[in-house]
Amino acid sequence: MSGYKQVPGLLEVNEALGETTLVVEREGLAEAALYLRDELGFNYLADVAGADYLGWGGEVAGSWGSAEGRDLNVPYTLGPSLVAKPKPKRFSVSYHLLALRDDPVRVRLQAWLDDGEEVATVVEIWPTADWLEREVYDLMGIVFAGHPNPVRVLMPEDWEGHPLRKDYPIGGEPVRFSGEE
Amino acid sequence: MTAARTDFVVRGPALYEGTKIPSPIPSWLQVPEARRETGNVLQVNFGPNHPSTHGVLRLVVDLDGEEIVGMRAVIGYLHTGFEKSMEQKSWWKAINYPSRIDYLATFQNELVFVLAIEKLLGIEVPPKATWVRMALSELNRIHSHLIWLGTMGLELGVQSMYMYCFDQRERVLDLFEMVTGVRVHGRYCQAGGLAEDIPPAFVDEARSFCRKFEPMIGEYERLTWQNKMWQRRTEGIGVVSAEDAIRLGLSGPNLRASGLNWDIRRSEPYLFYDQVEFDVPVYEQGDCDARARVRIDEMRESLRIAEQSLDKIEQLAGEPWISDDRKVVLPPREELQTSMESLIHHFKIVSEGYRVPAGEVYVAIEGPRGEEGCYVVSDGGAKPWRVHFRAPSFLAIAAAPTLCQEHLIADLIAISASLDTLMGDSDR
Amino acid sequence: MEGAGAFEQEVAQLEKAVLATTLDKAISWAQTHSMWPDTFGLACCAIEMMAVTGPRYDLARFGMEAFRNSPRQADLMIVSGRVSHKMVPPLRQIYDQMLEPKWVIAMGACASSGGMFANYAILQGVDRVVPVDVYVPGCPPRPEGLMEGIIRLHERVIAGVPPAYEMNEGIC
Repeated sequence: MSGYKQVPGLLEVNEALGETTLVVEREGLAEAALYLRDELGFNYLADVAGADYLGWGGEVAGSWGSAEGRDLNVPYTLGPSLVAKPKPKRFSVSYHLLALRDDPVRVRLQAWLDDGEEVATVVEIWPTADWLEREVYDLMGIVFAGHPNPVRVLMPEDWEGHPLRKDYPIGGEPVRFSGEE
Repeated sequence: MTAARTDFVVRGPALYEGTKIPSPIPSWLQVPEARRETGNVLQVNFGPNHPSTHGVLRLVVDLDGEEIVGMRAVIGYLHTGFEKSMEQKSWWKAINYPSRIDYLATFQNELVFVLAIEKLLGIEVPPKATWVRMALSELNRIHSHLIWLGTMGLELGVQSMYMYCFDQRERVLDLFEMVTGVRVHGRYCQAGGLAEDIPPAFVDEARSFCRKFEPMIGEYERLTWQNKMWQRRTEGIGVVSAEDAIRLGLSGPNLRASGLNWDIRRSEPYLFYDQVEFDVPVYEQGDCDARARVRIDEMRESLRIAEQSLDKIEQLAGEPWISDDRKVVLPPREELQTSMESLIHHFKIVSEGYRVPAGEVYVAIEGPRGEEGCYVVSDGGAKPWRVHFRAPSFLAIAAAPTLCQEHLIADLIAISASLDTLMGDSDR
Repeated sequence: MEGAGAFEQEVAQLEKAVLATTLDKAISWAQTHSMWPDTFGLACCAIEMMAVTGPRYDLARFGMEAFRNSPRQADLMIVSGRVSHKMVPPLRQIYDQMLEPKWVIAMGACASSGGMFANYAILQGVDRVVPVDVYVPGCPPRPEGLMEGIIRLHERVIAGVPPAYEMNEGIC
């Protein structure tokens, strides 16, 4: 845990639900990734996940419990819906790293960015990132600067739009009698 | 996309020494200029509709005669938009979807998603449910490896493997049908435990299956390791070193065949894997034969784990199979007639669904193909905000060009079969 | 043969609607007894389709265990699985490469109507691209369900019902 303080560009360390999240500056992501691989031994990149938080901070769906949890003994956590904590920017890119050794450690390296901002690729640090970053670009529209092969991987090459964004419609067609028409 | 920026500084070596991974694009083996100038290179499309590519995978292969000099994989022909669909449904209904991602390890996919939900909820699962989940996970692993073995045999010319494996696979599916009601896509995991109690005959039937299946593994070993066709087509083919395997993101049996003793069930135990005895088969050679041996040995270990789980399930007969947290789990129907709170709970859960506190988690389990992970972000509402699945096959296909260097086209079939990729898992 | 079984009764009902000559009937009989499917397995339904060829639900008794990899040699395309928009051109190309007469079975909910995936990625029913003869419901259909679909197709063919591309209904 104390080793994380030296990660370059570190903004905050979140510990929740047994997982550690290191939030770093967007510009310093490549340096932080290199530090984690070489100094702290995170030799395995398990996953790169992007998330779009457009529309976050509105009313939380439903009215049973709250964003903080459900606890009978804590006031105002079972009542009408409360607003979720706001996020710094629209997109987050999370790198799930694993130190693959006898006493394994997992950590999540996270950077926040707005639409149009880029983040450096980590292909040269973990070659695993090749297709993982292509998928995040394809579905979320996050540009990875320096990626050697920045083309779509899951959608057809000439597809327009980034399907997993919150402002991209679900598509398909309305199903009769389901209330969606 | 813009050109590479120069103010992102990456210190350290660009790629490591002694690696076979192609550069600069790790997943694209490019034809060297010298070869291309001979004019002998033919680009062949192993199109999406091909009997040996295990689903709709397209491999664009450059051949010089029969030797592979260039290769890249094109996927996406089975992209289903699971992650977007799951954001539209309540937590309860979204559990239907992951089963279809990796359609051979159907139970394990549901399991990883439900484990992520339970981690966010902070809910406690009764031990009987965990033991049943373990038993079904291991039976699912056997099912997946049987299909892999049958189709790999079919492609390498050992065609009778297909019939033997599919016969045994039917018996595993009989057990699943007994428990969940359908052969595949059972949707048996529920946040907090299981959807229903297991039937009383399950333990005996499963034990009888395990007893009868054990000698079949010996038959499979004879059909493969004593078969000259299999040996000549898999030994020394598609060798990947341990370091390259880590760099490429391989996991599961692909990693264990290269000498790395890494199994999430042993190293980061989930469910009750730290309470059962089993060995983790590890082989050193890193070739197709080693990958096959790891999987066949794993079937034996899965039987051991399943038998130990069945013993525990028998001892816990009559115990609850789901948590009693009424905010998440439906109350038993008898209570609805006597308790007003139960009626309200039932109504809220069925109409709106339970709410999962805000947060993000990443849960990884050891699936038959490797590390299956689920990254879930919740905003505190009744629907998931973001669900992302980490697919082991996605990275195994990206690693295929590294393994196919300096091999013949016929070896490509063996390598692709030995990586045990599945397009539903890869394309999600 | 004692009395007419269900198969023969259904064939007789269809035959009343279609008037076929004896030569046509002979040809149809031959076609149904060795109708070779094309390997068009896409997703989970493909595994159940493979199970149909397995030892328990033996498809070889209908002469159909020879799945041809080349569409030129195949008569029947069983679209088993979800069809994404990227897969539509290969699907149509394979269908066009098959020689007539050819039939299509849409196996499963995803091939019939898009299934549970009403989203941007999945074609909402394969009958938007190819004409379909028989729809087999299920997610996935049991192997017995697929066999029922295949037997219904055989009934249609024996009764002389023309393949779907010759019918004027449908989108294609």
